[in-house]
Amino acid sequence: MTTQSVVIGAGLAGLTAALRLTEHGHRVVIVARGAGATHLAPATVDVLGYVGGERVDSPVASFDQFFARSPDHPYRRVALAQVEAALTWFSARLAGLGYTGGLAENLLLSTAIGVARPSALVPRTMIGGDLRAGGRFVFVGFRGFKDFHPSLIADNLTRAQVPAPLTARAVELALPRDRLGDLGGRRLAERFDSRQYRDWLVESLRDKLEPDERVGLPAVLGLRRAEETWQELENRLERHVFEVPTLPPSIPGLRLFDALTARLRAAGVRVVFGVTAVGASAHDGRIEAVAVANASGTVSYPAHSVVLASGGFASGGLALDSRGVTRETVFDLPVAGAPAAGSVRFAPRYFDDQPLAGSGVPVDDQLRPVDADGKPVFGNLHAAGAILAGAVPWKEKSGTGISLATGYAAADAIRGAPVTSMAEPVR
Amino acid sequence: MNSLEADVLVIGGGSTGAGVARDAALRGFSTVLVERRDLGDGTTGRFHGLLHSGGRYAVKDPSAARECISENRILRRIASDCVEDTGGMFVSTPWDDPDYGDLFLKGCQDTGVPAEEIPVGEAIRREPRLNPDIRRAFVVPDAAVDPWKVVWACARSAEEHGARILPYHRVLDLELDGERVVGARVRDEHSGEELRVRARVVVNAAGAWAGQIAELAHCTVNVRAGMGLMIAMNHRFVNMCINRCKRPADGDILMPIRTVCVIGTTDLFVPDPDVTEIRQADVDLLLDEGEKLVPGFREARALHAWVGVRPLFEETAKVADTRDVTRSHALLDHDSRDGVAGFLTITGGKATTFRLMAEVTVDAVCQHLGEQRPCTTADESLPGSERHVMYRLDARLAAREPVPQAEEIVCECELITRSALEAAIDRRGTTNLDDIRRLLRLAMGPCQGGFCIYRAAGILHHGGRVDVSVANRALLDFLEERWKGVHPILHGDQLRQSRLDDWIFQGILDVEHLPA
Repeated sequence: MTTQSVVIGAGLAGLTAALRLTEHGHRVVIVARGAGATHLAPATVDVLGYVGGERVDSPVASFDQFFARSPDHPYRRVALAQVEAALTWFSARLAGLGYTGGLAENLLLSTAIGVARPSALVPRTMIGGDLRAGGRFVFVGFRGFKDFHPSLIADNLTRAQVPAPLTARAVELALPRDRLGDLGGRRLAERFDSRQYRDWLVESLRDKLEPDERVGLPAVLGLRRAEETWQELENRLERHVFEVPTLPPSIPGLRLFDALTARLRAAGVRVVFGVTAVGASAHDGRIEAVAVANASGTVSYPAHSVVLASGGFASGGLALDSRGVTRETVFDLPVAGAPAAGSVRFAPRYFDDQPLAGSGVPVDDQLRPVDADGKPVFGNLHAAGAILAGAVPWKEKSGTGISLATGYAAADAIRGAPVTSMAEPVR
Repeated sequence: MNSLEADVLVIGGGSTGAGVARDAALRGFSTVLVERRDLGDGTTGRFHGLLHSGGRYAVKDPSAARECISENRILRRIASDCVEDTGGMFVSTPWDDPDYGDLFLKGCQDTGVPAEEIPVGEAIRREPRLNPDIRRAFVVPDAAVDPWKVVWACARSAEEHGARILPYHRVLDLELDGERVVGARVRDEHSGEELRVRARVVVNAAGAWAGQIAELAHCTVNVRAGMGLMIAMNHRFVNMCINRCKRPADGDILMPIRTVCVIGTTDLFVPDPDVTEIRQADVDLLLDEGEKLVPGFREARALHAWVGVRPLFEETAKVADTRDVTRSHALLDHDSRDGVAGFLTITGGKATTFRLMAEVTVDAVCQHLGEQRPCTTADESLPGSERHVMYRLDARLAAREPVPQAEEIVCECELITRSALEAAIDRRGTTNLDDIRRLLRLAMGPCQGGFCIYRAAGILHHGGRVDVSVANRALLDFLEERWKGVHPILHGDQLRQSRLDDWIFQGILDVEHLPA
């Protein structure tokens, strides 16, 4: 007898929860409108990068100070040991991507505009770009690729606040003349899967590099064979080579998504895309089935437990209407932190703290959405990722960390719950 | 201090000022135009883009209606590249008195505005998103005009005829010689340098700011600022200019303009045209009025909100409602009016009649200078409009279609190529991405700069064009400026978009930690 869990959403939180649930012996179905923020975000695991605008060197040493400022943060709903376990688990499950790092120290990676940005865990193709030790960096861009501007990076990085002195310069290469036209990152990445393109890059760069320079390239070094490409470039250029994440679509994010979904498929998880979870049938305070709308109507997925990982406003897990009312879009769960209709939702200056920013679904210590009295709305509904109240992830640089930690923790909370038998989906 | 000499100094770089400068230059006067900010950055660039047929004024303001239809016909010809022939409709919704339609038709007849009632079914066939419960519909020759294209075409034409066009030159003082205005002291807002412009006639075309300029010559010009809110929606719900068939009121027009449509407007006196704010109540009002025209409007995707200030001139009376102030222009000869020679003020009016306003102004300039030089602007096409081909929405797409993959598109929403962006940066010599926005419509589409502004900053910096700190500043300033128009209407899908932009700028690029 297996147990079915329904995961709503296919971003990092949902994929993490699903994979972890299979390890607890659950049969899992993921229902999602489409891919999540993996396709947008850099694929680094950012646990905590800034507290009150100050850069964080060590996430583990900064949580107390952080919680004093953000008492209702999602990290308060998980144990530190769980965050650590989630990172270790993630690195092990995705060994092929070679994630390195941890909670003790943030790495510093250059962004595509040349800011030294903190991350806890980074994939192998980016590690060479760690700025903390300083040194000589060269950023290589491609004329014709509009989403990467190496001289902007180099000139800003030269002025960046970093622990050790560094130099940075830019090189721009003309891409091979094969009528590339308006070239997106994805098409460029596909080209780097081919030997021809790697040869071209190595030949073009050979006489343009100084000794001991670390070579930064836009994060487009292949979709399917990125590991191989990266390793080959390091070997042939005899220098550290690293990718710099840039505008969406995130190629490293696509690789992460592919790696996770490959593991999920191997574990027998059904991933149903192009559908929208629209509600639930419940009995006795527990969800019995999730209602899912597809092109032809509504299907009901029986569920022993449910993980709601539908994302925040960006992904449509939360919605604000024109009258200022914020709603959770699947189950109409209570929302915390949203300004009341008619009150100020946005600050007049863009970088100021935005009143609407921290709104989301409040949860208990098992990540179950709660009502105004703090009681779980459903005994078997857990929430994870960007839908959770209390975070401003794009400022904290905590988005992937929250998704990974809470996705992992939601699955572990479910493991502790009583098991009932499940049937096939019914129409 | 550097100095310039000219026959005519024009103060104000909106459509009126640019029109005056062009008209004067075409008549052979040496001309200088100064504008404190960018051309078309004031009222001109902040309206909904309606080229009036005159229908809106047919009942209440017949002389304004007559001017409108006459100028409408002229601009379709001489500014064809700036005008899209959308056509317009006046519709009676269930909230409007259907009998007003009879008054409307009569007014149109009396003023020569072509108007024809069509069956409601036909109206819905032409505009399928319209409220199916409308009761009457009238077709008029309204059109959509791109104000920035008009202003820049006038400026280019003026320059081709020898004029000096100086954006970002603020008037500090008018120079008086006894009871005569002989020029102005202006400051280059970029370099900080001062410049003296001596002129035989000074034309105050500062619109809602005309009172402030007139005061520098000790003249009192009572221009009141009527603030109006506009909201751009993410695509064209309608392809014709849709007017409510009733007396002019808040939220009575929905305009298709370039890739978006704009609902307008409100009308509120403000004491200072530089101090405006977007009020939530006005946003709600426009969304509700939009809902009456196009069901679903209220929760549809709004992109951007902004306010413009109309110059409303009243020589004497106190008027309670700004809508009761005539939309006709006022030309003030300060010699006969105030005993100050060499000084004219042209204000009031509306974008549709800017050419006429320029004509009467330069006629008066001629009189002052004792010259007889006829106006030619009604016949001479603006640069880009020589072939009398009207603008079409698919113009940019059509230009790219022969070689669709020729080069990078920096702004996908508005189909702006890298070479077009570079040409604009170099031609204008500007580092202000908001200036570029007005020239090219950069970042005016659904993502509001989410993708193109990083690219534009990179291109601005590329090849050492500007220092990195200037490129950073351009990006950050743009984000702040954009936010002003974005946050008042953020909800629904546009909030999703805005969140994605937060992720891009703050999450991925971390721009708030750029070195100062």
